[in-house]
Amino acid sequence: MKIAVCVKLVPSTTALIRVVPGGKSLDFTGVEMVLSPYDEFALEEALKVRDKIPGSEILVVSVGGEASTKILEHAYALGVENCVLVKAPDADAPAAARCAAAVLKPYTPSLVICGRQSIEDDQWQFTGMLAELLDLPHVTAVSSFALAADNVMAECKRRIEGGEETIDVALPALISAEKGLNDPRSPTLKGRLNAKKKQIAVKMPAELGIDAGALSPSLKIEAYAPPPPKSPGKVIAKPPKEAAAELVRLLREEAKVI
Amino acid sequence: MAFDIFVIAEHRDGKLKKSTGELLTVARKLAAAGGGKVLAAAIGAGASKTASDLAAWGAGTVLIAEGPALEHYSSLRWTRVICDAIATRKPAVILMTVSSLSRDLAGRIAARANAVLASDCTALSAEGGGFKLVRPILAGRALVTAAHAGPAPLLATLRPNVFAAEKPAQPGAGSIETLAVADDPKDARVTVKSFVAGGGTRPELAEAAIVVSGGRSLGSADAFKIIYELADSLGAAAGASRAAVDAGYAPHSIQVGQTGKTVSPVLYIACGISGAIQHLAGMRTSKYIVAINTDANAPILKLADYAIIGDEFEVVPLLTEEFKKALKT
Ligand SMILES: Cc1cc2nc3c(=O)[nH]c(=O)nc-3n(C[C@H](O)[C@H](O)[C@H](O)COP(=O)(O)OP(=O)(O)OC[C@H]3O[C@@H](n4cnc5c(N)ncnc54)[C@H](O)[C@@H]3O)c2cc1C
Repeated sequence: MKIAVCVKLVPSTTALIRVVPGGKSLDFTGVEMVLSPYDEFALEEALKVRDKIPGSEILVVSVGGEASTKILEHAYALGVENCVLVKAPDADAPAAARCAAAVLKPYTPSLVICGRQSIEDDQWQFTGMLAELLDLPHVTAVSSFALAADNVMAECKRRIEGGEETIDVALPALISAEKGLNDPRSPTLKGRLNAKKKQIAVKMPAELGIDAGALSPSLKIEAYAPPPPKSPGKVIAKPPKEAAAELVRLLREEAKVI
Repeated sequence: MAFDIFVIAEHRDGKLKKSTGELLTVARKLAAAGGGKVLAAAIGAGASKTASDLAAWGAGTVLIAEGPALEHYSSLRWTRVICDAIATRKPAVILMTVSSLSRDLAGRIAARANAVLASDCTALSAEGGGFKLVRPILAGRALVTAAHAGPAPLLATLRPNVFAAEKPAQPGAGSIETLAVADDPKDARVTVKSFVAGGGTRPELAEAAIVVSGGRSLGSADAFKIIYELADSLGAAAGASRAAVDAGYAPHSIQVGQTGKTVSPVLYIACGISGAIQHLAGMRTSKYIVAINTDANAPILKLADYAIIGDEFEVVPLLTEEFKKALKT
């Protein structure tokens, strides 16, 4: 089975991101960049499916800048067969989906796996767009995935408001991974050594038939701002019982929320 | 140029979600600014039962799609119904709530309808013939202000509880139109087979007006009981930090944060939660934040409007009693 995984390089979850004075851009200097956490689950699921079905292979695609080679090297160290980097450092999600689709269309994967969202833009946009561009059915934020014996149908579970859905999807299909889908492995030493021998195929958008217009941002960003500062709150310095009563009073009379 | 605003309602078996009222309130303001109409669509089992409510919230036209093909959710069928309506009605803006539904559909709809997607908006207004919006990125570490001038429609998903829900003095006309459902066999490639309700009687975390969360310091699943009791005294949803979830004290479905749910309730009560950046990512847009913590230097206190420095095992049960008393009167 041909399996494709899309991964993205993002700022680490704890990194402090500064807004450049004037608010025209963000300053990422010195910020640690990592594989988007949900993509780890996507890679692991791909490895599990590949190892289950003899003759399977995995193609990993990332759309980004030179720095993204880091996460593709990680994918090689985990043991995937092929990696492609589409060099489009400024691509937003729609542009990235077009680039990924251009790579994946001729590859004709039976299964495409992504993380549920990249933790940078937080748009939850890429996966649905990619599925539409590839004309694949998709399931978002899958917390359990099981291929049927025929390897054509798959059963997915997804937690939604008020409960859990079980969804049947026919392959070829795209799924996006929720935390808990699996327990991602770490690369072995042997994997790391093997990775050094592997080549990342680098493509420019133009080679894929994507012109500059298709790469321009869909949403015009006017300004960036840090989250609004909060004025210091009230610490209720009283013995527990009085403090509890005082908090209830403040919530009722001052904040008026209960 | 007049522009129309198209709201995708959310309902379960014909009962509208509270957040749909928020969408329609925003829709009315946008439509008034552009001299356009408000349309609302309800899809799936029980959709037609929402019609009078949607009119009461100000919908001029109510589009209903139901029937055997839409008995169970399918992302492809829903996308088709919504995109067909967008193609014929040509709205300037399509509004959805941030929810499992919009998370599943928005990217696909944007691609098919050639719409520009802005997810998780916390502000949206008509400005200079176009639209202006604010959305958090990087898990709330920065806010983006963006402008959209068309001609492509804007698909905006709005965070629940952030926008006011106000019924208009005059209901909308609510003229009902039925949407034909073109049945393409390719749309059968994905369908919900079953749904198991869970989570008990508490309100849904992502939509709740009040959330009470507990952290690792509770020390056991049993001790989490005090969090649930406090939540129940307020009719609130219960949440948890990842450390509490990873330790097995609370189910993953109630994890709040970057790798859990995003909540923006009116009131968020954090009990024994330190306020790690990944936790703040999921709750920092809450209107009022209360922290109960033994450590006066815990990062959560920087965000808290009210704080009690004390032991949660002592303070939380007392608070439950005080809320019970207060809410009786
Ligand atoms: C990639 C990534 C993603 C993550 N995603 C999330 C996420 O989605 N959500 C999330 O929550 N975390 C997330 N985390 C984890 C996060 O970094 C923290 O580890 C976690 O939030 C800490 O949980 P906590 O506040 O319960 O525990 P701790 O940080 O251990 O804090 C315990 C707090 O309880 C207080 N305390 C102790 N005893 C008492 C008592 N008796 N009464 C009152 N207070 C007491 C302490 O003073 C302290 O402030 C993520 C981390 C990573 C790396």
